[in-house]
Amino acid sequence: MKTTLERHLNILDFTLASLLRRKGKNLSLLTIYLLVIFMLASLVFFVTALKREAAIILEDAPDMVVQRLVAGRQDLVPTKYAEAIASIRGVSKVRPRLWGYYYDGLNGANYTIVADDDSVTEPESAMIGSAIARSRKVTVGDLLPLISYEKVPLMLQISSILPAGSDLMAADLIVISSEDFQTLFNFPAGQATDLAVTVRNPKELTTIASKIAQLFPDSRPILKSEILRTYQAVFDWRGGMTVILLSSALISFIIFAWDKATGLSAEERKEIGILKSIGWSTPDVLLLKFWEGVVISLTAFLLGVVLAYGHVFFLSAPLFAQALKGWSVIYPSFRLSPVVDGYQLAVLFFLTVVPYTTATIIPCWRAATADPDTAMRS
Amino acid sequence: MIRIVMAIVLVYAVSVTNASAASKAVEAIPANAKCPVCGMFVAKYPDWSATVRFKNGTTQHFDGPKDLLTCYLDTTHYLPGKRQADMVALGVKEYYSLEIIDPRAAYFVIGSDVYGPMGSELIPFKTEKDAQAFKLDHKGKRIIRFNEITLQLIRTLN
Repeated sequence: MKTTLERHLNILDFTLASLLRRKGKNLSLLTIYLLVIFMLASLVFFVTALKREAAIILEDAPDMVVQRLVAGRQDLVPTKYAEAIASIRGVSKVRPRLWGYYYDGLNGANYTIVADDDSVTEPESAMIGSAIARSRKVTVGDLLPLISYEKVPLMLQISSILPAGSDLMAADLIVISSEDFQTLFNFPAGQATDLAVTVRNPKELTTIASKIAQLFPDSRPILKSEILRTYQAVFDWRGGMTVILLSSALISFIIFAWDKATGLSAEERKEIGILKSIGWSTPDVLLLKFWEGVVISLTAFLLGVVLAYGHVFFLSAPLFAQALKGWSVIYPSFRLSPVVDGYQLAVLFFLTVVPYTTATIIPCWRAATADPDTAMRS
Repeated sequence: MIRIVMAIVLVYAVSVTNASAASKAVEAIPANAKCPVCGMFVAKYPDWSATVRFKNGTTQHFDGPKDLLTCYLDTTHYLPGKRQADMVALGVKEYYSLEIIDPRAAYFVIGSDVYGPMGSELIPFKTEKDAQAFKLDHKGKRIIRFNEITLQLIRTLN
């Protein structure tokens, strides 16, 4: 037992020394390898974390959202729809919602305006997201002027700033009373942007949705499960786009690695011949090459994954953020909570480390089984 | 679109969480509670769970009205040492509201296209109107009352 371990340790020792001897070549290989793993692992971490974040947020989403369509486009819903929907069996609550976007000419940003009379009780006061507070340089107690559609400024006193923990969705959010909402957008009374429907028994959701569609043919009920599925698809799609962009890098790496791993230089062939002639057996030589592959690929893999972890969860993935988070002037500065999907890491491992290591062994086996004399002479 | 949905969700999240937390506290079923009729874990199907309270204060959970009624009609077989007379309170979940109601006053719809954890179910309702509306929506066959339920009838559901 002890001798086996010693044999491995000795060969590993030799491997490291031989890798160091060809420092430039091996370092460049390691760097490219590292870069590829880093990009792929970053992407895996980022998409997994975003998906989880979305799932957590949507957990509290309404069971169903009812919109109204006019000529195929979303329009305002009369609040009297809400009463009719509330009387459908199985519906426990219907809540008309008021929300929209406000373009701020000062910094060219779009704010999300939501009316909620439960959290903002006083007129002309507002709760705002931290990114707005930062870009407009305002704090609690200050006034935030918004220009209404009648071109009259609406002075909102900031009652609180939404916690930064919910930045992904709250960074550009302004919560005001429904009265102010109607003033700001010249919004007709008795109308809502959409209706949030709560259904106690999830089994009844599809029946209720079809009843709503029957009752109001111009309405479009959207189930929570559909929203969830759309999110997953959107993140998968964006992740997929990034993979396609990265794939050229990946392919060039594969070509490079294949070339490096399979083709033995004359020098290496000679080295194997010398090793064999001074008494190394074929398994020893293979073990040496195996360790060489393991040292390079495992170092690249572990370092790459660790760097990717830091890149995504400590620096908030500056490399992909633009491509994956959407487009907006005010970028939420948020920190993703770390999630590591072991399955995806394992896939990454088996797609990179294992093929590389095996690819290095086969040509060496061919060289090692050859006669040392020929190997040295060639 | 994505962010707006998230934003709105956030605003309502607090109130919704509070409400659902409150209702969960009432209907807490121990994670290891097993239905004595079919042996399945009850906590996995909170929308279907049914409960019996005995004279001595202990409770027994079932994973659907059907299993509760089976046990009620054949108590000594499924719960040796207990008798039907020991059951002081019965509770099943009303389909639309998921509130706990007494099955002895409920209206049951059988033969519908809504299945419980144990397949075909007796779906309980508080009022006859609800039962009729459900029967229409979900292709139910019959509305029955508690005293019409027999073991034989339950067997035809399986």
